[in-house]
Amino acid sequence: MPPARAEVAVTGLGVVSGWGWGVGKLDAALASGGTSIRPFVRFDHERYPTHVAAEVPERRAASESVGREASDLSFADTFAIAAAREAIAGAGLPGDLSNHDAGVFFASCTGGGFECESFYEAWRGRNLWRGPRRLLASHPVSRPGEAVARDLRVTGPVETVSSACASGTLAIGLALDALRTGTVDIAIAGGADSLAHITFGGFNVLQAMDEQPCRPFRAARRGLSLGEGGAVLVLERLSEARRRRAPILARLEGAGASGDAHHMTAPEPHGRGAAEAMARALRDADCRPDSVDWINTHGTGTVRNDLAEFHALEVVFGAHLDALHISATKGSVGHLLGAAGAIEAVATVLAIRNQRLQPAPGGGGIDPAIRVRLAREPVAASIRRALSLNMGFGGCNAALVFSSPGLGSEGAT
Amino acid sequence: MTVVTGMGTVSAAGLGKARLLAALRSGTPTLAHIDRSDGMHHRTSARLAACVEPEALRGAAAPTDARRMSNPSRFALLAACQALEDAGLPIPTEPDGERAVVVATAFGHTAFTQQMFDQILDLGPTLASPMLFSESVANAAAARVALATRAAGPNLTLAQGEAGPLLAVARGLAEIEAGRARTVLAGAADEMNPLVHAILDRFRALARARGDQPERARPFERRRNGFLAAEGASLLLLESEAAATARGATPIARILGAWSAFDPSAPPSGWGNGVDRLAARLRRGLTRFGRSPGDVDAIISGASGSRAGDRLEALVLRQAWGGQPLPPILAPKETTGEYGGAFLAAAVLAASGERWGSASDSVDVDPELGVGMSTLPLPATARCFLVTTLAAGGPASWLLLERP
Amino acid sequence: MRIPAVTTATLTLAELKQIIVETLRLDAVPPESIADHEILFGGRLGLDSIDALEIVVALEQRLGVRIRLHDMETESFKTVATMHGAIQSYLASQAARPE
Repeated sequence: MPPARAEVAVTGLGVVSGWGWGVGKLDAALASGGTSIRPFVRFDHERYPTHVAAEVPERRAASESVGREASDLSFADTFAIAAAREAIAGAGLPGDLSNHDAGVFFASCTGGGFECESFYEAWRGRNLWRGPRRLLASHPVSRPGEAVARDLRVTGPVETVSSACASGTLAIGLALDALRTGTVDIAIAGGADSLAHITFGGFNVLQAMDEQPCRPFRAARRGLSLGEGGAVLVLERLSEARRRRAPILARLEGAGASGDAHHMTAPEPHGRGAAEAMARALRDADCRPDSVDWINTHGTGTVRNDLAEFHALEVVFGAHLDALHISATKGSVGHLLGAAGAIEAVATVLAIRNQRLQPAPGGGGIDPAIRVRLAREPVAASIRRALSLNMGFGGCNAALVFSSPGLGSEGAT
Repeated sequence: MTVVTGMGTVSAAGLGKARLLAALRSGTPTLAHIDRSDGMHHRTSARLAACVEPEALRGAAAPTDARRMSNPSRFALLAACQALEDAGLPIPTEPDGERAVVVATAFGHTAFTQQMFDQILDLGPTLASPMLFSESVANAAAARVALATRAAGPNLTLAQGEAGPLLAVARGLAEIEAGRARTVLAGAADEMNPLVHAILDRFRALARARGDQPERARPFERRRNGFLAAEGASLLLLESEAAATARGATPIARILGAWSAFDPSAPPSGWGNGVDRLAARLRRGLTRFGRSPGDVDAIISGASGSRAGDRLEALVLRQAWGGQPLPPILAPKETTGEYGGAFLAAAVLAASGERWGSASDSVDVDPELGVGMSTLPLPATARCFLVTTLAAGGPASWLLLERP
Repeated sequence: MRIPAVTTATLTLAELKQIIVETLRLDAVPPESIADHEILFGGRLGLDSIDALEIVVALEQRLGVRIRLHDMETESFKTVATMHGAIQSYLASQAARPE
């Protein structure tokens, strides 16, 4: 039984995003400062007020490569499996984990909802038994994580979080807990979601969607942009990773979560809940706020969220905020809902790995009410410790603290 | 040690523990005919579900809030308030950062999701209801509970099908043991709407009438042919035993441990053949929490009436017990149905010392399963209870409860 | 089910109150009990931004008026009276716009 506070390492990464299939594509894109949010073709959006999203470009080989049950797999399942396979391979682990103590800690908000919508649109009011069952098979949001577990032959715990935009971050927190308590030796943590009518329509009807690709923290911001994809991190106790000579990409030092208990969709305007989640994550990581160099914000690009988030950052970091580098991945890949926390954690690990800033896509001045340093160029920077924050619908907040593998105990409280 | 000091439950049986206990004692589920008027069911489909009576929801929340709530949110809110009252805990005036909420749901808020999608299709996307969207997210129930009970600690919604309720308790346990929360409201909330009922039936998951055999869930029985779809919410108030003692609260049950596993041989909507591995995981969990199969006085099984699911459950239990006789087995889903967490509530009731059963043993157990199961009440002396759930698609979860 | 758009270019205060009560399912609130100058959002009715958006959708559905949430949060939508005035302006400007 390992000690309760075992150190945890990130040993593998996998991503499917609007930039394409694979971490490499995301890595290059984050350096470029471009956006993958563009007009999409997944479904007809003519009747919607907005027309852009970060759609995953089709990869014809995908369905063949994931096995004979492919026709029952939803887009979200496929993104999840591809990202998990990439992460496991990158970690130098076998594709069959049945003899390992592995668990899956996953996140999804719509699961196979898009496929279910396709079924429903064609068959509502008619006998369900005559429609193609495969479109319904993956409807629950638990399916992507289970699909990963099935694909990798995981025999340990499988848990799926569906807490809106904070899901992926919360799932990674569950993985951290499972590793520290010795419940698993290998944690596959991540999320997957696909574009769907319900979410595209829903955010539009809340008037929370920008017609242009989202512009987090900019004065001209008008809302979020949706994205889709999957992102996975492989996590192990550091001692195990070293023993295995696994790549050690970063350390996951802490996780924190809180609830706003304020409103069903709007964040508490002073960012109180988000501040609490960050404070808990920092305490869990046993480090001071001023030891953080880089923040991956939730940064959706909505007027309310970005302002509330800024206030939360002020509360936690105070004057140190002026020295912090701020990034907002959603400008590049859109809002991946259940996978948002996961892909943003991947972006955070990439920042630490590369020791390089991720420029914010698009132009336009920063909102004068928001005092943050957004990168303009992919310049080298010392990123020893980074924090990733997500704030979800219903007031769920979650934060993670990552550090570079070589960081010692400097900055401890 | 973590204990349960309060419990709230909303189900077809009604509101509160006493109603659920009465239903368990009667051995008869409260059934309603599911609305099949939208034409999506097959003509030979299952027709029944254990639904919460709408009358029971009066007073679930202040009218200004209730108007916007989906059923899972209403159920969860009722259950949460009951649990807090049962635990002797008032709702604070200021947000309590040490109170966490963990709610599991199998299908989320399907009625509102369906309504919203209908509006998108019929009226166009710009005329769909913002309120429906805000209430259709899977975590709406957990958010409502947090809002109403001023819980500002970690707020998690888990989705893992039938395994959800036990996983939620496991998660709540972890929050308390790690010191991330002082109290946790943990459980499940689900609604059973006609569309989901029709989909479950499409996958042949539901019990159906056959010949002169009425439609009924029959866990472990020879004639079983599916489960009973149910809805509702059950929430437990968890806290450390030390905290409970300090404030003079009486535990209802003690939680010795919780653990889970996965069977990768299971197809997405069915059960697999991973008996050996699941049995090994079951035993490993018992060992981890200082128990062996011989210490278990009774099993509260999540067997629901599914042919494959109950079979796997029986095989796993027999394997885990290594050929030794199994203790008495209770299968409450015969009465509670599947989804909504009433099964979890029944397990806690049993662990707290409540007993139910018929005087005569009349279960037609499937001989192939090799398990004895009777309708006789559990022994009064039973103190250590293993609660099990093997979900479709592979997740398996277990809970070890002890009578205080 | 398609709700027919109201073809009238005018809207009375009473009709607006009816729309509010029906749309927001305020079953316990008689429309006439809503004072013309009573604060709608954050007041005794307990209405919030989601309710504001519901009203926006209802107004579009019934009157063909498309209002931005941003406008709903200004002074012009604070009370039934000011909302009524703003809607009349929207209707007038839509009628004046060439097809």
